[in-house]
Amino acid sequence: MIDVSPGSVDIREKLNAIHLNVFYGSFQAIKDASLKMAAKTVTALIGPSGCGKSTFLRALNRMHDLTPGARVEGEVTLDGQDIYAPDADPVVIRHRIGMVFQRPNPFPKTIYENVAYGPKIHGERDKATLDATVERSLRQAALWDEVKDRLNRSALDLSGGQQQRMCIARVLAVEPEVILMDEPASALDPIATSKIEDLIGELKKEFSVVIVTHSMQQAARISEYTAFFHLGEIIEFGTTTNIFTRPREKKTEDYITGRFG
Amino acid sequence: MASAASSAPSRRLSSNSGVRLRRLIDALATGVLWIMAASIICLLATFIMYLFYLGFHSLSWQFLTSAPTQSAGGGIGPEIYNSFYILVLTLIFTVPISLGAGIYLQEYARPGLFRSVVQFSAESLATVPSIVMGLFGLLIFVFYFHWGFTALGGALTLTLLNLPALVRVTQEALASVPDSLREASIGLGATKWQTIMRTVLPSAIGRLTTGIVLIAGRIFGETAALIFTAGLSVSANHPYELNPFRSAETLAIHLWYTHSESVIPDVDRVGNGSALVLLIMVLAFNIAARLAGSALTKRFTGRSS
Ligand SMILES: Nc1ncnc2c1ncn2[C@@H]1O[C@H](COP(=O)(O)OP(=O)(O)OP(=O)(O)O)[C@@H](O)[C@H]1O
Ligand SMILES: [Mg+2]
Repeated sequence: MIDVSPGSVDIREKLNAIHLNVFYGSFQAIKDASLKMAAKTVTALIGPSGCGKSTFLRALNRMHDLTPGARVEGEVTLDGQDIYAPDADPVVIRHRIGMVFQRPNPFPKTIYENVAYGPKIHGERDKATLDATVERSLRQAALWDEVKDRLNRSALDLSGGQQQRMCIARVLAVEPEVILMDEPASALDPIATSKIEDLIGELKKEFSVVIVTHSMQQAARISEYTAFFHLGEIIEFGTTTNIFTRPREKKTEDYITGRFG
Repeated sequence: MASAASSAPSRRLSSNSGVRLRRLIDALATGVLWIMAASIICLLATFIMYLFYLGFHSLSWQFLTSAPTQSAGGGIGPEIYNSFYILVLTLIFTVPISLGAGIYLQEYARPGLFRSVVQFSAESLATVPSIVMGLFGLLIFVFYFHWGFTALGGALTLTLLNLPALVRVTQEALASVPDSLREASIGLGATKWQTIMRTVLPSAIGRLTTGIVLIAGRIFGETAALIFTAGLSVSANHPYELNPFRSAETLAIHLWYTHSESVIPDVDRVGNGSALVLLIMVLAFNIAARLAGSALTKRFTGRSS
C-alpha cells in the first residue's frame, strides 16, 4: 500500500519516521506511518481534515509530550538517531527541529524579545550577538525592512501575516536543521500567503522543511515531495510531480481531483 | 426564496402587534436591570458619603499618628501600623506558598487522585468561616505554642484563611494564558521551567497582581480571625515594634472594639474616624489593584490589556 522503499523514491533522508503510531487515549490517530523526509527540500503533507497530518507533524519533534493522554510508538530518526530513544533529550530535539504553528502565536512581548527568545533560553547573553541574530533572522524571514524601526514595539501590534513571518524568524533564530510548519498560511490572505511561500522557497536552501497544507496548489508550488494521508495512514508518497500528475492510488487521485466523498 | 416576496405581498417592514409586545418587554427588562444596577451604585455612594459625613471631623494628623488613650483624644497610629504590619507578614507567607501550589496544580500536576485531593482540600479550606479559623488559631498559636496574642499568630491564621483564595487566583491567572504560548516556547526548545518563568508568569502577572491586591484589601479589613489571635491591645511603651511576638491590634479590630467594648468618652469620634480610614484604605487597595494590574501587564507585554 505504502511504498517508501528506496527503489521508488531515492532519498537521502534528514528525518525518517519508521512505523509510527500515535494514540490519543485509546484512539489511534496515526497508523503505522513511515516516511522519509529529505535534507534541504520541502516535503508536503496533504489529506482531508482530521486525517492526522498535525498529529504526525507534532510527533516529529515530540510536541506530543505536552498532550496528556497522547502516546507515540515507533521511531523517528534525525540523521539516523532516534528522537524517542530513552537518552534523547526533547529540549535538544526541539532546538534542532523547530516548529511553526497554524495560528501565529507571538509572545506578548516586543518583536525583539520574541526573536531573541530562543537564543536567550539556550544561554546567549551577549547583546551584540543577540542583535545580530535578531537582524539575520528577521532578514531571512523577509520581515526586517517592515519592522526594523519598531523592534521594541509589541509583536501583537503586527498584522497576522507579519506575525507569522515573525514566528518563522523566531524559529530561525535558534538555527534549527529542520522546520516543521502546520498550515502556516491558513490564517492569512493571498498576499501574505505568497510571501510565506517565497520565504519557504528560500528556506529550503538551508533547512529541511516539512509542511502541512490544505491547499493542493500550495503543495504543488513549494514542495519536492508529497505524502497523502487518509484516516491516519499514509496512502501514497512520492515526488510532488508524480503525486499530482500520476497518482498510483485511487484515493489520492480522488482527493487531488476534488472528488473526495 | 426568490419567490417569497411575490407570494407573500402582505409582508411589510412596519411592526405588527406581536413585534410591538416583544419590544415592550425588551424595554421593560432593560429598565428593570438598569434600576437594579443603579441602586447598587446609589447604595454604595450613600454609604461612602455617610461615612465621610460622620468621620470627616475626626480626621486630623494627630488622630492618624497618635496612640489610643483611656481618656478622650486618642488616635489610631499604632493600629494603622499594625494593619500594614500583619498584612505584609501575611503576604510574605501566603504569596510564595500559593504561587508554588497554584503553579504546581495548573502547570505540572496531571489530572489524577493527588491533584483532585489537593484541589478538594483547598476548596474545603476556602469555606471555613473566618471566626472558626480564628478559634483554630487561638488553640494552636495562643494556647498550644504558648505564644499568647501575637502579630505572628494573627498573620499565620490569616495565611490559612486566605491561602485557598490565592491559590485559586494563581490558577485562574495561569489558566488565562493561552496554551499556544506554552507551545511556542516549548517548541523553541525551552524547558518547562523556562516556559513558566519567561512566558507564562509574565503573561499572567497583571491578573496575579490584581488578585493579590484585592485579597490584601480583604486581609486589611479582616476582624474575626484576628480577635483571638493578634489580640486587642497595642503596647503602651513600644507601639511601633518590629517584633512579631507581641499583641497587635489592627485598625479593623480597633473599630469593632471601640464600638462594642470600649469605655472611652469619645467613642463616636474614634469609631467614625476609624471606619472612614478603614474604608479609604480598602477602596485604595481596590483602585491600586486595577492600576497595578494594567501597569504590570503593559510593562511585561508591551501592551495594555
Ligand atoms: N488532543 C487530541 N485528543 C484526542 N483526539 C485528538 C486530539 N488531537 C487530534 N485528535 C484526533 O486525531 C485525529 C487527527 O487529528 P489531526 O489534528 O492530526 O488532523 P489534521 O489532519 O491535522 O486535520 P486538519 O486538517 O483539520 O487540521 C482527528 O480525528 C482528531 O479528532
Ligand atoms: Mg491540523
